[in-house]
Amino acid sequence: MPAGVQSRRAARVREVADIALAIRTENLTKIYDVGWGRQHVGIEELNLEVETGQIFGLVGPNGSGKTTTLKLLLGLIFPTSGAGEVLGEPMGDPRSKNRVGYLPEGPYFYEHLNAPELLRMYGSLFGMGGAALDARIQELLELVDMWDRRDYRIADYSRGMLQRVGVAQSLINNPDLLFFDEPTSGLDPIGAKDIREVILRLRGEGKTVFLCSHLLKEMEPICDNIAILSRGRLVTEGSVAELLRGDRLRYRLELREPDEELLAKLQGNAEEVLWLEETCRLLFADRQAAFDAAAQAEDEGGYVLAAGPDRRTLEEVFIDAVGEVSVDASDL
Amino acid sequence: MSRSAQKLVAWIVLIGVFIGLQPLNDALSYNRLVLGYARPTPVTKVLQFDAPAMTGIIVGAMMGGFREVAASMLWMKTHSMWHSGEGTKWDHLSLMRMTTLLDPHWLEPWRITAWHCAYNLYVETDDPKEQARLLDMGVNVLKEGISWNPDRFELYFELGWTYFDKIRDYPEAARWLAAAVRFEHPEHIERLIAHAWERLPDMEKALMWYDYCIKRRPSDHTAKGATITIRERYMPAERLVQQRRYDEAAEAVQQYLLVYPTSTLGLHMMGYVYEQAHDYEKALEYWSLAAETLALNHYARYKVAELCERLGWPVPEYASHIYMREQELRKEMAVTHEVN
Amino acid sequence: MRAIFRVARATYYEGWRKRFLNGILVFAILIIGSSWVFTYLQPGAELKMLIDVGLGSIRFFGMLIAVFLGSRLVPDEIEKRTIYTLLSKPVTRMQFLLGKFFGGLATVVSNMALMGLTFYIVFMIKAPQFAQPTEDSPAYKMEFMYENIAKAVLLSFFEMAVVMGIAVVASVVFSWILAAIFSFFVYFTGQMSEFFGHLADPDTGASPVARVVLLTVYRVLPHFENFDVRESILTDVPVIWSYVGMTIGMGVLYITIVLALGYLFFNQREV
Ligand SMILES: Nc1ncnc2c1ncn2[C@@H]1O[C@H](COP(=O)(O)OP(=O)(O)OP(=O)(O)O)[C@@H](O)[C@H]1O
Ligand SMILES: [Mg+2]
Repeated sequence: MPAGVQSRRAARVREVADIALAIRTENLTKIYDVGWGRQHVGIEELNLEVETGQIFGLVGPNGSGKTTTLKLLLGLIFPTSGAGEVLGEPMGDPRSKNRVGYLPEGPYFYEHLNAPELLRMYGSLFGMGGAALDARIQELLELVDMWDRRDYRIADYSRGMLQRVGVAQSLINNPDLLFFDEPTSGLDPIGAKDIREVILRLRGEGKTVFLCSHLLKEMEPICDNIAILSRGRLVTEGSVAELLRGDRLRYRLELREPDEELLAKLQGNAEEVLWLEETCRLLFADRQAAFDAAAQAEDEGGYVLAAGPDRRTLEEVFIDAVGEVSVDASDL
Repeated sequence: MSRSAQKLVAWIVLIGVFIGLQPLNDALSYNRLVLGYARPTPVTKVLQFDAPAMTGIIVGAMMGGFREVAASMLWMKTHSMWHSGEGTKWDHLSLMRMTTLLDPHWLEPWRITAWHCAYNLYVETDDPKEQARLLDMGVNVLKEGISWNPDRFELYFELGWTYFDKIRDYPEAARWLAAAVRFEHPEHIERLIAHAWERLPDMEKALMWYDYCIKRRPSDHTAKGATITIRERYMPAERLVQQRRYDEAAEAVQQYLLVYPTSTLGLHMMGYVYEQAHDYEKALEYWSLAAETLALNHYARYKVAELCERLGWPVPEYASHIYMREQELRKEMAVTHEVN
Repeated sequence: MRAIFRVARATYYEGWRKRFLNGILVFAILIIGSSWVFTYLQPGAELKMLIDVGLGSIRFFGMLIAVFLGSRLVPDEIEKRTIYTLLSKPVTRMQFLLGKFFGGLATVVSNMALMGLTFYIVFMIKAPQFAQPTEDSPAYKMEFMYENIAKAVLLSFFEMAVVMGIAVVASVVFSWILAAIFSFFVYFTGQMSEFFGHLADPDTGASPVARVVLLTVYRVLPHFENFDVRESILTDVPVIWSYVGMTIGMGVLYITIVLALGYLFFNQREV
């Protein structure tokens, strides 16, 4: 099913079932004025819909407008044109702030505090206090593995420690919607894995997570939906499954250095042949053709590496998508 | 409240408060003057765009709260240079002058600067023209100080004293001292006024002021003593002059001069008697004596010059500061006369 | 209120940790504490010098702290990105700005209070001795001196509150350096506002255009000189409470204006 039809149907389903949208933007545009009449495009004509309960990934190369989008949604900067809604309120509206958590890119905090003091200050901004807040603080610091180092002043933190406390502070008010800007940057592999687990757990609790990242390998396993930005424009969008599958599902057979004779025989049925170093990948339109070819290759002494549905990696999707736009952009 | 409504409220508050502030500001300016918390720039200085005053105001404002401190520091620097002998007296003068501009309501620097001109720098030179210029400078410094501090006795007194002690222009001295006593002041100033008239000599005015001193404080022995002296020694002569019995008057003073041959008062009195008698040569003789006994007696020197002029004799080199000033004044008046 | 208080408290503690502020404070206290040492150079004017140096230092260093702290409160938050997490919490921009202002003000006032205390101690020890009559000068009257000094310090708190308000709001519009320069400029010209009023007088012969400009300057600038009552201390004229109250009122009104402007600017400031 084409992606367009899918999303149109999804919209109708939502209407009927009254599934709330956590985030919606309409032609959201941000052009930065950098003086002397020069302008930088932040984002242009962005239309996004994020359902509640999803992990939504906004990906794109450096400078593609991810952080810009987040800041717009949080009301830290103001759109040049277009509009957006967060949790049913116009973006930047103070009413939505009680239900929102934000981890900025490269977060930083008041240097003279330590983690519990910082969290206590932030908690009190939500009207929290007393033993409940203390318990919440301990819980969060344990979650990000900072409880043991709770006495350290923020001035003395390492980059990764800041990131961890940044995650903890974004969760202090038990928000329904989370904005994470590059949540794993600066973290060691274990830390990154911990954060991914936190994100998945949040979804399990019914929360919506809006993630910005260019670390595609990390996004792939956890995101429900993904939007790809390039130079401020949305290039493609959809569920991860859809994106990885491409327009239609094909099947692949991978052989290790097949000899010419064998290749010639198999090539007849294949739609496409790709060489990836020593590996030769043949793509077939249907499953049966692929399996037949695999059997034939086995019989003739070929070395079969793999056979199965042809799933692209997110990286491939990304490079495809971004590459396309680059061409478009240069045409402009 | 919507954002635009909030904005409107902010604007209304802003403009409302701004308007409400204006009468408060005006009331404060008025109160400061009336209650004596401010010593504002004299309006005349502003109206005339007085350059040194403007410089002082702007530099002072740039120092913010440190304006007076900066003046103090400068003053201390002058002090230490003075005592260590560093710099010339002219260097000291410019530092002093700067201090007066920085903190024009500080009286001390005005006083010392004027004194420095009229006394210290004065004795550095023998050229009467230069000396006259320095005396003028001292007087002008004090007059400028007075224009900043017109409601304090100190600088009027200082100016009166400079006229009395240095320039020996007794009528001027009496005039400025009389200005000083309009404000809260120490008693001795009134006696000084009497002294000034006595020296002139104008015995009637002197007696009037001594009288005033005694009435105010009956135990004022100095005033009493002076009154007795005048009544005993000079009043007889004065009365004789009024009866045109000049020879007898001269005789009376002469008796006193026999005892105190260099008495300024006695010599002045003799000059006065002979002048009244139209015996200008004799008068000149006594005034010259007075001028010679006291090198700085400008009043005597002035009288000498005046009498020489009257007699058609050449005016001596040393003709005083006051005389030269008067000449200049006459020239100026002639010029304005011609223009008119 | 809660949000303002939290932001203010964090700002206050941050303020104490600023090295350059500590430097200024230490230097100021050294100068004030030793102000009496230099007075021997000026026989007859010791008391004047003591008061000039003491109160002058409090105002001057208070002003330096107010300008340098105030002009960096908001830019530092933006530069260090601490503002992002704060503004994403239930803190409106106005609350944030007020919190920064009052937190910074608390820092300035406590710095100045320390200076004031130092001066008061020095003054209590030395003044009675300096007030004795000497050959050159009569005895100083000291009837109202102690309370006048306290009132002068109180007034300078409010003066610096206005200065800091200006610095904070200017820093929302300009860079912090420009904001600091702007605040100094306003402070210094504000010292002369009365003078501009005089210049606008028809008798000066200024052109109508110049007079309109001068009058505008006179009407718009805070009249900082009104906070200065040092003259009355030396002449020992009592500074009456109604004057103190009115001057404080003027300060509060200026702060209101400045913060309303701050609201208008900061609400459309991108961070
Ligand atoms: N304050 C700003 N002033 C001017 N231009 C800006 C500003 N912030 C961002 N931009 C521009 O907007 C574009 C998008 O920037 P943005 O920070 O949103 O990118 P990003 O996708 O978050 O990149 P990264 O992966 O590096 O974080 C860039 O071209 C950038 O130069
Ligand atoms: Mg970014």
